[in-house]
Amino acid sequence: MRSSIHILLFFCLFPFLNQAKTVTVDPKGPVSTVRKAVDLAAPGDTIIVRPGTYREGNLKIGKPLVIIGENYPVLDGEKKYEILTIQSHDVTIKGLRLINTGSASMEDVAAIKVINSVNIAITGNQIINAFFGIHFSNSSRSSVRDNELRATAVAEDQIGNGIHMWKCHDISIEHNRVEGHRDGIYFEFVTHSFIIGNTSEKNLRYGLHFMFSHNDEYRNNAFIDNGAGVAVMYTNGVKMYNNTFERNWGGAAYGLLLKEIKDSEVIGNHFTRNTIGIHLEGVSRSTFDKNDFTANGYAVRLQASCDENNFVRNNFSGNTFDFATNGSMVLNTIDGNYWDRYQGYDLDHDGTGDVPYRPVNLYSMIVERIPSAVLLWRSFLVMLMDRAEKVIPVVTPENLKDNAPSMKAYDRVKERI
Amino acid sequence: MRIVIAVSLISLLLSCTVEPEPLEYGQDACHTCRMTLVDKRFGAELVTTKGKVYKFDDINCMLAFFNSGEVDHRGYAYKLVVDFDKPASFTEATEAFYLKSAALKTPMASQIAAFSRKEDMETRKKELKGIYLVWGELVTQFK
Repeated sequence: MRSSIHILLFFCLFPFLNQAKTVTVDPKGPVSTVRKAVDLAAPGDTIIVRPGTYREGNLKIGKPLVIIGENYPVLDGEKKYEILTIQSHDVTIKGLRLINTGSASMEDVAAIKVINSVNIAITGNQIINAFFGIHFSNSSRSSVRDNELRATAVAEDQIGNGIHMWKCHDISIEHNRVEGHRDGIYFEFVTHSFIIGNTSEKNLRYGLHFMFSHNDEYRNNAFIDNGAGVAVMYTNGVKMYNNTFERNWGGAAYGLLLKEIKDSEVIGNHFTRNTIGIHLEGVSRSTFDKNDFTANGYAVRLQASCDENNFVRNNFSGNTFDFATNGSMVLNTIDGNYWDRYQGYDLDHDGTGDVPYRPVNLYSMIVERIPSAVLLWRSFLVMLMDRAEKVIPVVTPENLKDNAPSMKAYDRVKERI
Repeated sequence: MRIVIAVSLISLLLSCTVEPEPLEYGQDACHTCRMTLVDKRFGAELVTTKGKVYKFDDINCMLAFFNSGEVDHRGYAYKLVVDFDKPASFTEATEAFYLKSAALKTPMASQIAAFSRKEDMETRKKELKGIYLVWGELVTQFK
């Protein structure tokens, strides 16, 4: 009985014990700088920033605080400073407009930098012309949501990454928009994290750059018109669902570059108008299911170093080359896909073609060895050679074939994952 | 007439000299990891005696290729690394001074910077901490 009264008392008094106050920053008010507000605030307090332009150099946040901007107050780094440096647990930054950070070759100067912290929320901010946008290192259990990052750099070495994560875990990156940075979203040594619903567009190098980051998932993102597409490398157990890889054109551009990947899933993605849809090097035990490859130069380029991968229920249409490889050994299965070039028949009407389809084009093997030979593609002689090769395979790998090609394209509306 | 042909032939042959190529940051891709080169403080290049050029974004990518045996170790005309303090400029890899430090965020996480002058390496070592390595140690470390 006694103890239950104690508990009741505790809950009645709890709101008073834990009362956080609010400090308002207003250019014309008693507290006219964010710095002063941060100094005045006790851990757990809220700071409201009224509209205005604040030029305060670098602000360090070393205690739990909630900082909320009203109508996007501007924090200007004057091209000299890092704007916010956070080193504390439980910090929220919301609704600010951060512009013009400094830049440096040795340090990663950022609009918002988070170091050694837990429980950080960066929500709904506008970050314009930052060197690095949002930069996390050694941090965990945090979210980066609904932010807009825009930069206008011309050379990769003059700009940093949009959302940069280094040695983090349990991070969620959702519904952000990144444009014009070096790499839109950058993950290095980041585990158990999510990248969901982001748009990464017109970045100078990669839309998403992913290294040594195990057991992460990214879904429903759009990676459009980036200098070199998306790179996912040296990683195990990554899940890539329902993403769009579009218009990544150029000599070294890939819709999706996979290198040294194991036990991963690539499901329900769209690869449209890329120089190379997916390039695979050293990829093992991974599944490629229900993807659409449309109007790419190469849909899939599979290097001989890949094994035990399974391609199933993918749609291949309007690609110059459906499949290319550089070896003769085939240790992957590609049964049950739709190929618009398939010219077989289906006498028993079971929906799958009665003769296998060989997606590797003779000429793609030649181009693999002599890239400039692509000039003669679509010439009469090449077409003849290709037909002859289809009948009696000599150069192309004998076993690389779809034994049960689908007669009809898979309808994605009916079977969303 | 014969002399003219001979001279022109010789000059043609001479024009095919084996030379290093500068790294085009933002355009060239690393031969090992396929990443586009962006960080001018790091990078490496191997040129074979036949004139084939391999470019790398980080020293561990270069060593992975070097140790792969695809080209014989004696088959290189140049082994070059970028000087950390002189962005995008090469120095001979076998004679360079290397610093391995956790503070160095290199493109492929090798944590290694190269220097043409020992003094420069010592200065950075004071600032960044870490250990000093030479070529031989580096090659065996990444085997």
